Amino acid sequence: MATPSREVTSIAGGSARRALERRDLLTRWALILPAGLVLVGLMLLPMLLMALMSWLEPGSFGGVRWGHYTPEAYIKFLFDRNLDDSLSLNTDYLSIFSRSFGLAFITMLITLLIGFPVSLYIALQTPRRRQWLIFLVTIPFWTNLLVRTYAWILLLRNGGLIESGLKQMGLLQGSLDLLYTPIAVQIGLVYAFLPFMVLPIYTSLEKLDWRLLEAAFDLYANRWKALWRVVLPLAAPGVIAGCILVFVPALGTYYIPELLGGAKSLMIGNLIQQQFGASRDWPFGAALSFALLALVLLFMLIYALRFRGKGSLL
Amino acid sequence: MVYGEGSERVRALDRISLEIGHNEFFTLLGPSGCGKTTLLRLIAGFEQPTEGSIRLYGQPLEGLPPYRRPVNTVFQSYALFPHLSVAQNIAFGLEMLGKPRAEIAQVVREMLGLVKLVGYENRRPAQLSGGQQQRVALARALANRPKVLLLDESLSALDLKLRKEMQLELKRLHAETGITFVFVTHDQEEALTMSDRIAVMQEGRIAQVGTPTEIYDAPNSRYVADFIGETNFLKARARGGVLLLPDGSSLPTPVHTPDGEVTLAIRPERARLSADGSGISARVKDVVYKGTDTIYLLELPGQEPFQVRSQNRLGALQLVRPGDPVGLELPPEAVRVLKE
Repeated sequence: MATPSREVTSIAGGSARRALERRDLLTRWALILPAGLVLVGLMLLPMLLMALMSWLEPGSFGGVRWGHYTPEAYIKFLFDRNLDDSLSLNTDYLSIFSRSFGLAFITMLITLLIGFPVSLYIALQTPRRRQWLIFLVTIPFWTNLLVRTYAWILLLRNGGLIESGLKQMGLLQGSLDLLYTPIAVQIGLVYAFLPFMVLPIYTSLEKLDWRLLEAAFDLYANRWKALWRVVLPLAAPGVIAGCILVFVPALGTYYIPELLGGAKSLMIGNLIQQQFGASRDWPFGAALSFALLALVLLFMLIYALRFRGKGSLL
Repeated sequence: MVYGEGSERVRALDRISLEIGHNEFFTLLGPSGCGKTTLLRLIAGFEQPTEGSIRLYGQPLEGLPPYRRPVNTVFQSYALFPHLSVAQNIAFGLEMLGKPRAEIAQVVREMLGLVKLVGYENRRPAQLSGGQQQRVALARALANRPKVLLLDESLSALDLKLRKEMQLELKRLHAETGITFVFVTHDQEEALTMSDRIAVMQEGRIAQVGTPTEIYDAPNSRYVADFIGETNFLKARARGGVLLLPDGSSLPTPVHTPDGEVTLAIRPERARLSADGSGISARVKDVVYKGTDTIYLLELPGQEPFQVRSQNRLGALQLVRPGDPVGLELPPEAVRVLKE
């Protein structure tokens, strides 16, 4: 009696397990579905649409002429079409790209130079103070960046706080003339992206085993050598993550140069915006976006190949 | 050495006076919190003394940062650099000293041989076992030929078998390198096995300094006697050159003892059960057979429990059962009188 009944339960157990596995699989798919829908619907499809647009002719009043395919948008990026249909090199757009790369790169360097010591300082405090300081770093996120950028106009403009302050101290005669220059854009970028450098570096420094620093001191490394040979290599993942988090968004910034920069400090983001706005050349705007995307991916690829297998980004 | 501020001030080390000889294997022994690691960190330079001075071959060390002291440490956690290979770890100190490459390579090879890790030079610390990491930490410190090597509970993270191996290994390295070793441990057996001299520490002070034999045979306080090995304590009264026990029996004093209350310390292996019931009368509470030894747990009137450890030599087996009355013999040279 006992043996057959045990067999029955084991068979039942097997099918029950299979049913459970099936349900497990279903649950898994159901859980992935919302995120998948968001990714496909809000990222993949729009990007495919943009890719398609970049190969179409522009409509006279914005939009595109569906079905009229042309590589003109990509040609326009590098060349001017003369009256006789010959092409001559046009570096205007390239110079905007290189300026954007320059501004983004300098932003990355400055935020790194400020952000690393700040993170190091915070990481060396007591846990209580650390929490406080990190909280202070995140306070700017409470206000919209657009509002904070407007605040910079008030600070930087002629007759603004900085100018009058410098005049009061007797450090400046005449006007400051800082607003609507590339330097104003640079200041705005550094201000906006500094927290994105501090937070990942702090995260990697916080995890650092400070006993290693003692070991370095014990082995004749002075403070600088210990920083250079032990702290920096171990904080490298955070430094790299911070650099990416600053460089990539800084490259595509739109309203900081829009508000703080003049005609000579146009960045890629503004150029793209213009194509979809005043210039009514959607295909060119789409092509510019893809040129930017391709360049960013290229940098990420170089990074990934360089640091392959050396731990995750964060 | 005072720590903390205001009401939280703690005196971590107090009235420490020590002289450690050239090429000595010196051990700081004590329970956790006794200040032995603080003392080590003072020598290494990670802490600065609030009072007093530390001298190395006559040169005062106060105010010198750790990286200017010809002293290296083997950390309890090893603190190997995870981003560097074994060879790079060992080379670190010499590189910081700006030694030429060829010399560094030579020393690294030598050190790998010394700690028996040839073939592991390109591994990362994470790819090594605990014992191997320990060897790398030793090699990294010894590569700089420090005047003093500090070892902070360096063996306590290893399992028993590996620890025994590393104890012998350390003794060998000490003999081969001729460097002064200052070793910190809470393991009394380890201290006895390895040291030339031991300082037993108690709450920031040094309770006793001496060779392992001196510390074991002639502890100067109940604390030391209790911390090192096992010890029986008997209450007694000294009067006129005789030690009187509460049950009326008496023992001759081994050394001159002024009259008054004293505590006697007797090692379990130095006491004997008498064959004929003579000596101090006691009752057997328990008999524990341990292979090489048998331990007799005795009850003495008005005293703490008393242990007798006797070796199980051929024919020496005594037929004693729990509950039996026995006589306890204490040879005068086995009795250590502690003033208390």
